[in-house]
Amino acid sequence: MIFLLLIYAFILIINVPGLIKRKEWRDLTAFSILYVIAFALGLMYVLDIPIPSPMKGLQHLIVDILGIEYPQG
Amino acid sequence: MSIEKGKISSQQLLFLIAGFVLGSVLLIDFTVGITEQQTWMVILAALAITAPVILSYVVLAKRFAGMNLVQMNDMVYGRFLGKVVSTYYIFFFLMTLSFNIRDVGELYITFLMPDKPFIFLLVVFTAICAYAVTKGIEVLARVSHLFVVTGMFVIISTFILLIDQMDFSNFLPFFELPFIRIFQGIHIVSTIPFGETVAFLMIMGCLNKTEHAVKNTFFGLFIGVVSLLIVAVRNTAVLGRTQTIWTSTSFQTIRLIDIGTVLTRMDFLVGIAQTILIFFKCSLLFYVLVVALSQLFGLKSYLPLVLPLAGIEVIIAATVFQSPVDHAGITQNAGIIYSIPLIFVIPPLSLLIAKIRGLPKSERGKGT
Amino acid sequence: MGKKTNFSMMKLILCFFMLLTLAGCLSAREINDLEIVIGMGVDKDEKPGSILLTAQVVKEDTAGRAPGNGSGGDSKAFWNVSSRGNSIFDAVRQITHKTGNRLFISHNQAVVFGNDIAAEGLQEYIDFFLRAHEMRPTALILVAEDRASDVLNAKPETEKFPAFNIAKLVKTYVFTSYFYKVNMKDFASCLMSPTTAQLAPLVSSIPDEGNKDIYVSGMVAFKKGKMVGKLNHDEVRGLLWVLGKVKSGVIIVSSPNGQGKAVLEIIRAKSKVTPEIKDGKIVMHIKIKEESSLSEQTTTENLATDKAFEKIQEASAEVIRQEVMASFDKSKELNADIFGFGEMLHKKYNNEWKTLKNYWDEIYPTIELNIDVETKIIKTDLLKKPASSSEEEK
Repeated sequence: MIFLLLIYAFILIINVPGLIKRKEWRDLTAFSILYVIAFALGLMYVLDIPIPSPMKGLQHLIVDILGIEYPQG
Repeated sequence: MSIEKGKISSQQLLFLIAGFVLGSVLLIDFTVGITEQQTWMVILAALAITAPVILSYVVLAKRFAGMNLVQMNDMVYGRFLGKVVSTYYIFFFLMTLSFNIRDVGELYITFLMPDKPFIFLLVVFTAICAYAVTKGIEVLARVSHLFVVTGMFVIISTFILLIDQMDFSNFLPFFELPFIRIFQGIHIVSTIPFGETVAFLMIMGCLNKTEHAVKNTFFGLFIGVVSLLIVAVRNTAVLGRTQTIWTSTSFQTIRLIDIGTVLTRMDFLVGIAQTILIFFKCSLLFYVLVVALSQLFGLKSYLPLVLPLAGIEVIIAATVFQSPVDHAGITQNAGIIYSIPLIFVIPPLSLLIAKIRGLPKSERGKGT
Repeated sequence: MGKKTNFSMMKLILCFFMLLTLAGCLSAREINDLEIVIGMGVDKDEKPGSILLTAQVVKEDTAGRAPGNGSGGDSKAFWNVSSRGNSIFDAVRQITHKTGNRLFISHNQAVVFGNDIAAEGLQEYIDFFLRAHEMRPTALILVAEDRASDVLNAKPETEKFPAFNIAKLVKTYVFTSYFYKVNMKDFASCLMSPTTAQLAPLVSSIPDEGNKDIYVSGMVAFKKGKMVGKLNHDEVRGLLWVLGKVKSGVIIVSSPNGQGKAVLEIIRAKSKVTPEIKDGKIVMHIKIKEESSLSEQTTTENLATDKAFEKIQEASAEVIRQEVMASFDKSKELNADIFGFGEMLHKKYNNEWKTLKNYWDEIYPTIELNIDVETKIIKTDLLKKPASSSEEEK
């Protein structure tokens, strides 16, 4: 938990001042979006909230819905 | 116009590709369970199938010299569709990178450090990859020589050390397995080590001279293929029938080295080499991912995105699969199917469209 | 400028910090905390379904002392700790109740299975040894004539540890070719084949002045993991002739004049086996080539002549042929494909194999052997003629 906060604070410190100083607003927005997503995911992981796996969804899509699958074994 | 200011030479491209393919050396374990003693054939067949596709990548890169994949997509498919295609690619890079990071974690957890918490390993590994990426492609290109030489040294020396334990009759009978399994094996090998070189479409834009790109790409690919073949042959010859039951065939093979009671327990050697090679592959994939994403957003530099993406990647790598069993199962099915369009269809299609429409014109436009 | 050095300083400090912490001590196990296991034995316990696991553990403080330093009494450098459990992994963990530390089985030289376990079937018990990440596939596998724990207890003369002794004994097969060493991976490979019978060396003990001495008395054949029979020295050597695994050994034939023996030392031997399916019958063509040297003779007649050589070569070829046939007959009696003929057929006649392998038990006894042996005596060591006063030599 603490690790998580420390790491994300660290990331913030390294990146944000430079971006603000150079007035790179677009970069800053992109950074913020990804930062929030990363932080949310990290938080979910630490708090043991199950994170849906994209591959499971893909597997479901391809195998069950489209029916394309290699035979097992 | 491009984000990356660095330039790489053609020869560095050779080693980059060789190192990238070498990074997948342990990943042929996915196919060994399916294709057993015919794995070497599968590798050769996959090479034959992917060679023309990879050729199309290089020709595409030469045509759109200096541009990377996202820019190419924009030009070929128009603003909106191009961005959609690029997003598809970015998803692919994101997922593939997380698989590879997870692979390293699984390697350590199963063999080398079974008691350590998984996520810790992932965080450390990803952090180092992120650091490598912030240094830029030029640095990666410069160290590629070293990594490739190290990898090849380990592969060749382990092969030589095991010669007395090899039994070449283990390759018989040829053509025993039903074709569908061979087909699946070919599919896996053409996607995982070879098809992932589609990532290089992002990197080839940095070539300073594109004349020898084709030659160097194929030479690099050749080095990668030869290494994979040596590993596959070594594993099959030594382990024979048992190769399908081990979690990691390469590790078990190395454990059998027992020469003069001095050269034993060499599996650390494979561990080191594999870690270095996967690190290289992950750094490249990470670089490609970051640059692609920042190109898509139209940013000035890709640096700010590195760390948040690293954070996302770690969590995805930690949660996407439940266990190596899951990982193998999904990779052998959905994993290779969803990437078919990206690897086999879209680049040749882009090339075709570009040829037809005479792109790139010196003035940007969709047929002005 | 100042900012730059400040940043570099920070990086340096960070690196230093990382050096200290990242040295990976998270799950380090110090040597004192390790119980180094060098041999393991598995027996059946009185309770059904339970097994007795014996682990030979090194005692570090006495291991450093030179052997034979017996002034302090009978201090063994090892101890055999045993525990009961319902599965091997269970028993392994239960041992920690006695040792206080987890077992470290990376140095395990050999795994000995007791007679009762072998008779019941090894398939259930072998999984742990293959799957455990600390085990090495180079560890040897052996079967004890009686209880594995006895074998591990036998005190060796020249080695400090019985387990090392056992491993050394098995590796001496090269000198006589009366058995051969089987490691975990080979055994697993045979288990995975639908037709091949597995083999493992058999360790017996003979009482010798109150101490039990152990020696390898032959090999044991398994079918589907269950022990089915024993092979004695000659039968094993017959098997090894066919497999081309004979490294050295002794062949004794009677000398041509009938008055003594000629003893040959095998220098090298090769074999080539070609399966053939002819008229619905399976014939194995075995071609054995062997080179030996005349190492001992007990008659006074000089055997180092071409004529004598020819006769001795023929006699030794006959011995080899008989050993092979003995081995084959035994395998037919046990109906166990110890030669791996099944797999050879598999490699050559893949299509027929698909049907044959289901009836292998019926087919195996009908296999015919076509043995062709070629022997050559290529030297006579240091004597040209025997040390005897013989009047025929003129």
